[in-house]
Amino acid sequence: MTSLQDLAHEPISAVAELLRRKEVSPVELTDMTLERVEKLDPRINSFYTVFKNAARTSAREAEDAIRRGNYRGPLHGIPIGIKDIYEVGPTTCGSKTLKDYVAPADCEAVKRLKRAGAIVIGKTATYEFAYGFPTLKSYFKPARNPWNLDYDPGGSSSGSGAAVAAGLAYAAMGSCTGGSIRWPAQCCGIVGLKPTYGRVSRAGIYPLAWSLDHAGPLTRTVTDAALVLQACAGHDPMDAASANVPVPDFSEKLDRGIKGMRIGLMRSVYQDNCDPKVLRPFEASLKEFEKLGAELVDVPSITLTQMQAIEWPALFAECAAIHVDNVRHRGADYNPHAKLFVAYGLLVSSGCYLLTARARAQVRDDLLDVMGKGIDALMLPTVGFPTGRVLEDSPGLSIVAEEFSIYTAIFNFTGFPAIQVPCGFDSDGMPVGLQIAGKPFEEATVCQVAAAYEKATPWHNQHPRL
Amino acid sequence: MDKRELIRAKLAEWDLTVSESELEQLLPTYDNLLRWQRVLESMARSRKIGDGMSIPESEPVTIHAIEKKGAQR
Repeated sequence: MTSLQDLAHEPISAVAELLRRKEVSPVELTDMTLERVEKLDPRINSFYTVFKNAARTSAREAEDAIRRGNYRGPLHGIPIGIKDIYEVGPTTCGSKTLKDYVAPADCEAVKRLKRAGAIVIGKTATYEFAYGFPTLKSYFKPARNPWNLDYDPGGSSSGSGAAVAAGLAYAAMGSCTGGSIRWPAQCCGIVGLKPTYGRVSRAGIYPLAWSLDHAGPLTRTVTDAALVLQACAGHDPMDAASANVPVPDFSEKLDRGIKGMRIGLMRSVYQDNCDPKVLRPFEASLKEFEKLGAELVDVPSITLTQMQAIEWPALFAECAAIHVDNVRHRGADYNPHAKLFVAYGLLVSSGCYLLTARARAQVRDDLLDVMGKGIDALMLPTVGFPTGRVLEDSPGLSIVAEEFSIYTAIFNFTGFPAIQVPCGFDSDGMPVGLQIAGKPFEEATVCQVAAAYEKATPWHNQHPRL
Repeated sequence: MDKRELIRAKLAEWDLTVSESELEQLLPTYDNLLRWQRVLESMARSRKIGDGMSIPESEPVTIHAIEKKGAQR
């Protein structure tokens, strides 16, 4: 049998099979994972809180259940992390203002994951309230990128990305308002799946911007992302945005390949502004898609400037509406720039906010029209800049500068599902990724395309050396 | 009105005060916000219906309606 430590970087799909066949027990797997966290995380800082005792108790329960023949499915006995803006146990949102807050109950997504048998081992690091970049001067120190500890793991689901890449959890939940699942997944060389708006309940997750917030998993493989989504997707009346639509089998099309599929390239977003260090691996990946039998087609889209013009005023206007009263009372306890973003959001006029909402409708309709003409999926790089170093000091309001070329936001404000998969490394040895998007509620197609590329490439089998 | 005063006044409406250094950081981003406002105006689809007059051809998505229209198509 493989040694337990060898399982640390295995995907859920492989480990679940060992658990199902009782070749490995949930207790052994959880203990091994907790030992890794204890040994490695002081350098990575991917977890704020580790639920050592609760995780062991859950693991014993899972072990008993499996022994009795009550195997619940592929997440049963699997150790996972939860971003610290999800309500479960101590929930700080990465903010000094909530350093002592303990959630009264689990949020809906966590309830579902626990029902599927997942072992929640702890709460993962996040940007303050999912937007305030942590720095070395922040109350909660930033997580580190396992590929190079001097580098940032991206965010805002920074700890989730770092933990999964470092083999400290088999999956971790993230949240995404402009790219906070796919960006850290890219920086950490793993998979990040932002489902369709309304697919996963956000009830009990601290909001950043209601109309843009999504919940979803960060995992090592596309199959794992489909498995975790399966466990947490579905209608929840407690989330006003929750979609009451059927939940299909997200793994159903994973082995079908992409021969004959037409994939739309959204060049107008990235062609004039993408850093060559990121663009090179992405361009190389296009050949792989063609080898797999897909037809790549240039499709009309918006520009990066238009994307920013829609995303940031909408996001920060909503963020300000959520935080203004807290900032009035506790502004001094926020990261300096986190407070400033609230002020920025208050400067967005009602007319500007409504123009973003009109533009969103137009972009959504245009993309649906494009896809209605025989385009199965859309593709572009995940972000246009290489992974940066951990921030020593406040970055100010740099993310609302034109240079911040994050390409993920278009699928937040249209609500389309999108996945990030690794597609190589830049010249500094940091992971680079690409994103694939699909029609609303067609996560299975998005996973199909991503899985075909993943199977044909070696990137998901490479792990950081720690 | 001077932009500094304008920003201070807008934030005062929300009972929020900022320091001089915070104001310095807000100034360039406020200019950028105004640029984006113009970008948004240029994106908004309208039909001309007279001299200097137009009627909107798109309407704002309400916060929780995005996926529903997508699902209908």
